[in-house]
Amino acid sequence: MTTPGGPSTALHRPGTVGEAVAALAAEARAGRPVELLAGGTDLVPALRTGTRPPAAIVALRRVLELRVRGAGADTLTIGAGVTYTELAGWSLSPGLAATSRVVGSVQIRNCGTVGGALGSANPRGDLLTFLTAAQAEVLLTSEDGSRAAGLDDFLSAGRLPGELVTAVRVPRPSGPQTYLKIGGRQAAFPSLVSCALLVDRVRERVCCAVGGVAARPWRVAEAERLAAADVDWSTGTAPAALARRFGELAAAGVRAASPLGEDPRHPLEYRVHAAGVLAARAFARCLTARSAPRRESAP
Amino acid sequence: MTGRARGVGGSVLRPDGLAKAGGTFVYAGDLSAPGMLHARTLRSPHPRARIRRVDTAAALRIPGVAAVVTAVDVPGVATYGLIVADQPVFAATETRYAGEPVAAVAAVDAPTARRALAAVEVEYEPLPPLVDPEVAAGPGAEPLHPDGNVFREITLRHGDPDAVGPVVVEDSYLVGMQDQAFLAPEAALVVPAADGGVDMWLATQWLHSDREQIAACLGLPEELVRLELAGVGGAFGGREDVTLQVHGALLARATGTPVRIAYDRVESFLGHPHRHPARMWFRHTATEAGDLVSVHARIIMDGGAYASSSPAVIANAVTHAAGPYRVPNARLDGLVVRTNNPPCGAMRGFGVPQVTIGHEAQMDRLADRLRMDPVGLRVRNALQPGDVLPTGQVLGPPLPAREAIEAVAARPLPAALTAASPVTARPGGRGAHADLARVRRGVGYALAYKNLLFSEGFDDSSTARARLELDADGRPVATIHSACAEVGQGFVTVAGQIARTELGVDEVVLRPADTGVGSAGSTSASRQTWMSGGAVRGACVAVVDRLLARVARRLGLPPEVVEAPRRALVITGGEIVGAETGTRLTLAEALAEGPVEAEHTFHHRRTTALDAHGQGDPHVAFAAAAHRAVVDVDLDLGLVRVVSMALAQDCGTVLNPLSLRGQVEGGTAQGLGLAVMEELVTVDGVVTNPTLHDYLLPTTADVPALDFVALTYPQPDAPYGVKGVGETPTCTATAAVLAAVRAAVGRDLRRVPVRPGDLVDLADPVDPLGGAPYLGNKAAWGQPGEMERG
Ligand SMILES: Cc1cc2nc3c(=O)[nH]c(=O)nc-3n(C[C@H](O)[C@H](O)[C@H](O)COP(=O)(O)OP(=O)(O)OC[C@H]3O[C@@H](n4cnc5c(N)ncnc54)[C@H](O)[C@@H]3O)c2cc1C
Repeated sequence: MTTPGGPSTALHRPGTVGEAVAALAAEARAGRPVELLAGGTDLVPALRTGTRPPAAIVALRRVLELRVRGAGADTLTIGAGVTYTELAGWSLSPGLAATSRVVGSVQIRNCGTVGGALGSANPRGDLLTFLTAAQAEVLLTSEDGSRAAGLDDFLSAGRLPGELVTAVRVPRPSGPQTYLKIGGRQAAFPSLVSCALLVDRVRERVCCAVGGVAARPWRVAEAERLAAADVDWSTGTAPAALARRFGELAAAGVRAASPLGEDPRHPLEYRVHAAGVLAARAFARCLTARSAPRRESAP
Repeated sequence: MTGRARGVGGSVLRPDGLAKAGGTFVYAGDLSAPGMLHARTLRSPHPRARIRRVDTAAALRIPGVAAVVTAVDVPGVATYGLIVADQPVFAATETRYAGEPVAAVAAVDAPTARRALAAVEVEYEPLPPLVDPEVAAGPGAEPLHPDGNVFREITLRHGDPDAVGPVVVEDSYLVGMQDQAFLAPEAALVVPAADGGVDMWLATQWLHSDREQIAACLGLPEELVRLELAGVGGAFGGREDVTLQVHGALLARATGTPVRIAYDRVESFLGHPHRHPARMWFRHTATEAGDLVSVHARIIMDGGAYASSSPAVIANAVTHAAGPYRVPNARLDGLVVRTNNPPCGAMRGFGVPQVTIGHEAQMDRLADRLRMDPVGLRVRNALQPGDVLPTGQVLGPPLPAREAIEAVAARPLPAALTAASPVTARPGGRGAHADLARVRRGVGYALAYKNLLFSEGFDDSSTARARLELDADGRPVATIHSACAEVGQGFVTVAGQIARTELGVDEVVLRPADTGVGSAGSTSASRQTWMSGGAVRGACVAVVDRLLARVARRLGLPPEVVEAPRRALVITGGEIVGAETGTRLTLAEALAEGPVEAEHTFHHRRTTALDAHGQGDPHVAFAAAAHRAVVDVDLDLGLVRVVSMALAQDCGTVLNPLSLRGQVEGGTAQGLGLAVMEELVTVDGVVTNPTLHDYLLPTTADVPALDFVALTYPQPDAPYGVKGVGETPTCTATAAVLAAVRAAVGRDLRRVPVRPGDLVDLADPVDPLGGAPYLGNKAAWGQPGEMERG
């Protein structure tokens, strides 16, 4: 059978999660390197350049149960096969929608999936930064059963051989959310620096993560504490000066983290600065009086 | 459309346009032959290393691997090069840049070929790379190559080299390495022939130069190396050098089997020479009234490991360094240096975009210093025909430089950004959500001129054949044969237009470009419409002369008509008509006797080399262009959005308005890319961003619609009065965007592409040039004594 990996690569096309993990387990037992294929936006380029030569590929497109998303009383669950395009129009999660709208180009958003973003775990990945701020849980299944892992744990430990990401779970929004990102051009660019910010008006707090500066998406705890203490939670608003202060603390917070590798064109100094600007901007968008009650609007 | 409407001057559509837009066009990488092998190239990971040992045995043992070739398998000359043959086909004992080919393999499929690459054992002894051109050219620097480290040094002296005006502006500028980033990576199909030669289908810019170099390396006579152009997906100079040609031919000959050799995106970024990075120092002096008194410049270009076209690029940079201005006194010095960085060579603009960035930044500073309008200062100093250039060359007509800058300045300005504008219209787009109160607009201008065709005494030519005959249905059809490489510039359209105009036929067949006809020269230097257009026209004119003479003879017209039939006979509306002689017959009748064929070789006027002081008559002709850029800058994040671009360009006679528009839009986009995003970044000689993910090209969201004004004064010595149009807009676009950004942020900019960190206030800002107004190591220059006086 001919596949993008070459004539010797075996291709599995399971129809259910059960079949998918069975295929993964069988390949793992045979000691053969295996790759999951979701939208292929990361994997196919790697296959083409030969940087990843798997012996087997498990294609997930036919696994319809991975492509559902749903809302519970307190949480939203997004299947691993859900694409950015599907999320970009999802009114239940303005933050996921805002994040997905600025990923890649239309073509990439049509193909790229949540599971692929977690599988690649690119430290600058947009979804990763948003999910970090959202305190997401990752749901995994293997032949041995299912488990849930906090995103942080998932990122540090990775998945076990034979495990499939089936979904992510985030709390239902209880306030404005936004996602900002900058890069090398006007559209369709990988993120250089990004900032996800979620306001939780029930628990009276702000969660904020910065991508592109620290070695992984970084929660800016000091800034978050300032917001919890100083935002007027009766109205959900804050004065402009607080946004500035929030940005300064966010920059200071991420500066202290262990940095992502050097980028010759964009020194750490600039990326820290930009993180502060984006954090202040995100804060103002979600918490200044004018815009306090509004949701992330699709411009 | 009729023959006339589809002739010269009409917006005739490209014959390959629909196929390209619809995805059915066959590019070189799409070619295949039954049983063909797939070839891949092994490249050095080290910018500089001694090669202790290469062992291919393990790779050859892999099932499906047909051949592995290395330096020892090159039967002919071991090196090749466009100007100097200094680049090894494969590195033998030493590698000089990261990405240099060391071996190539052919296997039954690409994954097997890739596995074989991994199995070739190369023992490297890494050496410390020299990656700073000033160090590499300096005293005591180890020679990186038997030819030494200086590719060329030019010292141009014009007027009184010590003259200075009372108003002085001076600074240094840095230009990064741009890549051509054409969208279809390098590819060729090579088929070994029964006569011991090879037949090759490939994407290139210059078939005959490739053939000469391939034949020399294979040790074959040129007749046995037959090349045909395959579909080219962009070139921009990046296909002027040989890359995979010899490797593919060696493998085809070693295996006796057709071989397709192709690069992927990463290899393409490593495989061809790039635009030269430059460090430039300028000192402009002027009178209080704003007349330039002198320009002093020193330009150091990093040529990378091999010569490619470096010697010609530096000549262009130096001779254009003062820009399209009247400069009575000049000291212009240029140095292009060998380093262990990737080789640099031809790219659209060929040395001129770099110096335009410098001279135009200087003109803006001078305007500031003089409290003059930047347009006014340029108008005041703009060259006019009859002026003497820094080389001593007298500028021939036409050169509407003044008109160009005036024309763009008169274009309406775009509307300001408002709260109602979509967020995608702000700098950084949707994701950055720029704060309107912190977005500042800037307007900037740039004026430049660029030489057309090959320079410095090169006797450049192009040959074409034309044939007029009846097809199977008895209709006249013209066949044109030229080796001109169509790389997107539109020769396939224009050649047909010329043939229709000259021959009065509708039906024109353009034969594939191949080495079965004489050289058309390179598709570069804005030369093909002029040179190969001139060759096609000349061949068609000769065909008409022969046909009319034949008709005159057959009709028994007087000998003076047979001698000069055009005086009495014309081809019009598909007929040959002679008012005086009472002749009237159809083309079909005239051709019934048989086909008429002619070949023509077109030469441009002769130029001369530069003498020891950079004086001569080096350039055939020039074209001028001016851009006005309008940008919005997010002052907090340093992000730039180009809001509008206006271009006025000196185009000569326009043969195809639609084609012209394609060239100037593309040239503008490529220049804009260099201004704000396009940079191949090396760290210690290793390219860090060889993918389109990290090497960003402008998209439709980044390039505004072009407001274009064509200035159409015919060039007297060119066919139909044409000028080359492809390169000039690339020279000015970058400088204009830079000027606009400078105007928006109110600070002088010294680095291209401009980086966001250069535009905001950082606690610990990085000065790209370390604050030095002079170029570092003065000893790198030939005459240190003279430098001190600078
Ligand atoms: C041109 C381009 C632009 C891009 N722009 C952006 C951008 O702006 N922002 C951004 O964040 N990303 C961007 N990306 C990256 C990419 O789109 C995302 O990372 C995407 O989410 C990957 O999803 P996919 O479905 O395509 O994954 P695939 O390529 O199919 O898989 C990626 C990896 O994830 C693994 N995997 C897939 N599914 C699962 C699963 N269910 N469980 C466990 N592992 C799994 C695979 O084995 C593989 O290793 C871009 C990519 C391209 C090519």
